[in-house]
Amino acid sequence: MAASGGGVAQQAELRRIEGNACFKKARLGAAIDCYTEASTPHLPSPRLSFISLITAIALCPDVAVYWMNRALCHFKRKEWAKVEEDSRRALALDDTLVKGHYLLGCALLDKEEFTLAIKEFEKALNLLKSSSSTDTMAEDIWQVLAKAKYLDWEKHSTERVWRIQSLKEACESALQEHHFLSGTLVEDSDGSSNEYSEQIKLLSEVFSKAALADTPVDVPDYLCCQITFEIFRDPVITPSGVTYERAVLLEHLDKVGNFDPVTREPLKEHQLVPNLAIKEAVQAYLKEHSWAYRLNC
Amino acid sequence: MTSSSPSSSSPSRKALSKIACSRLQKELSEWQVNPPAGFKHRVTDNLQRWVIDVAGAPGTLYTGETYQLQVDFPEHYPMEAPQVIFLHPAPMHPHIYSNGHICLDILYDSWSPAMTVSSVCISILSMLSSSPAKQRPADNDRYVRNCCNGRSPKETRWWFHDDKV
Repeated sequence: MAASGGGVAQQAELRRIEGNACFKKARLGAAIDCYTEASTPHLPSPRLSFISLITAIALCPDVAVYWMNRALCHFKRKEWAKVEEDSRRALALDDTLVKGHYLLGCALLDKEEFTLAIKEFEKALNLLKSSSSTDTMAEDIWQVLAKAKYLDWEKHSTERVWRIQSLKEACESALQEHHFLSGTLVEDSDGSSNEYSEQIKLLSEVFSKAALADTPVDVPDYLCCQITFEIFRDPVITPSGVTYERAVLLEHLDKVGNFDPVTREPLKEHQLVPNLAIKEAVQAYLKEHSWAYRLNC
Repeated sequence: MTSSSPSSSSPSRKALSKIACSRLQKELSEWQVNPPAGFKHRVTDNLQRWVIDVAGAPGTLYTGETYQLQVDFPEHYPMEAPQVIFLHPAPMHPHIYSNGHICLDILYDSWSPAMTVSSVCISILSMLSSSPAKQRPADNDRYVRNCCNGRSPKETRWWFHDDKV
C-alpha cells in the first residue's frame, strides 16, 4: 500500500468512518480507538499498537472533527477531563464547531465553572443560529445553558443573601448605637413609636425589597406560553394576538389542527410572526431573575 | 402503575414526555392554589392519572351528589387530549354512558392544547348542570356492549349531534 499523502488521509478518514459506526452501535471503546488512530500523533496504548492500520494515526492530527468525535465518546462515558482536553484541541483547529463548544461547555459545567460554561453554550447557540442546523441540537444546548445559568445564580445568590444579611445586622446595630448615644432609644412615655423603631422598620423593608430578585416565585403568566406553561424562548404571535412558544405551536399545527389553540380561529404556519417585544421582556426578566432558568423534570 | 381492573380501560401507558410532565406539574400546583369550584383532586403521587371528586352544582338535578372523574394523560399531553371518564357509578345524563364514557366534543375532536384539566372539569360540570332529565343516552346498551373489552372512549367515533345539553 502506497504511503502517499492522499492514501494516508484516506486511511484516517476510514478510521473516522469506522469510529462513527462503532459510536452508533454504542461500542464506545472501539470508537475511541478508531478516533485515536485517526488523530493521535503518539500511541500511548499498547492495545492499539497491534491494530494494523496504526500508521493512519499520525497522519491527520489537524482534522478538528476527529478530536471532536473522540470528545463525544468521552462525553458519553462522562470522562469530563478528557472531554475538555479533546474538545479544546478540536476548537483550537476550528472554532466554529457547534458541538465542540457544547462539549467543552458540558465539561466546564461539570467542573462548576459556570461562567465559562455559559460562554461556551452561548457561542454554540450563536453558531447554530447562523447555520441551518437541526432543532434538537438547539434544544439540548438550551437545556444545559439554562442549567448552567440556574446553578450560577444559585451559587451567587447564596453568597449575596449571606452578605446582605450581615450588612443588615451591621446597619441595625449601628442604628441602635446611634440612638443610644443620642438618648432616643427608649419609646416616648405615651407609647407612640419613636424615630428609632420607625427606622428599624423601614430598614427591614428596604432589605426585603433588595432580596426580592433572588426569591423564586411564579414567572408572570404574560411571559409564559399557554401550552407549555413555561417561560418563552422563541415566542410567536398569531393573527388572533395570542403568543405561543414557536416549537410547540408548530407541533400543534402539525398534529392537532390548523387553528389557534386559544381562539380556535383558523391558523397556518406562514401567519406566525416572531413576538420580539415579549422576547425582549423575557430576556430582561431572566437577567433580573436568573432562578427562572430552572426547568421542570 | 399497574391496573388489574379491566374495566378501568387504561390506555397503553407510555410514560409522560418531558413536556407533558412539566406541564402537568404546573397544572397541579396551579390547581392546588386555585382549584375549580366544586372539584377536589385526590392526592396521589401519580401524575399520569388524576382522580377528581365532582360535586353536583347547587340548583341542578345533581345537587348533593358526588361523582368521580378519572383523568389519564397520554405521553404527548397536551398535544393529545386526556382520557376522561366517570368512575362507577356514573351520573345519569343523556350524554354519559353507564360505563362512564362521556360524549363531549372537547375530549375528542375539539380538543385544544390550550385547555387544561381545570377547564375540562368546568365544561363537564356545565354539561351536567344543564341536563333536563336524569336519563341514559338512547344507545346506551348497544354502546356499552361494544365497549365491554375495556375500549377507551378515545377510540369511539363520536357524533356530537346535540349541543343543547
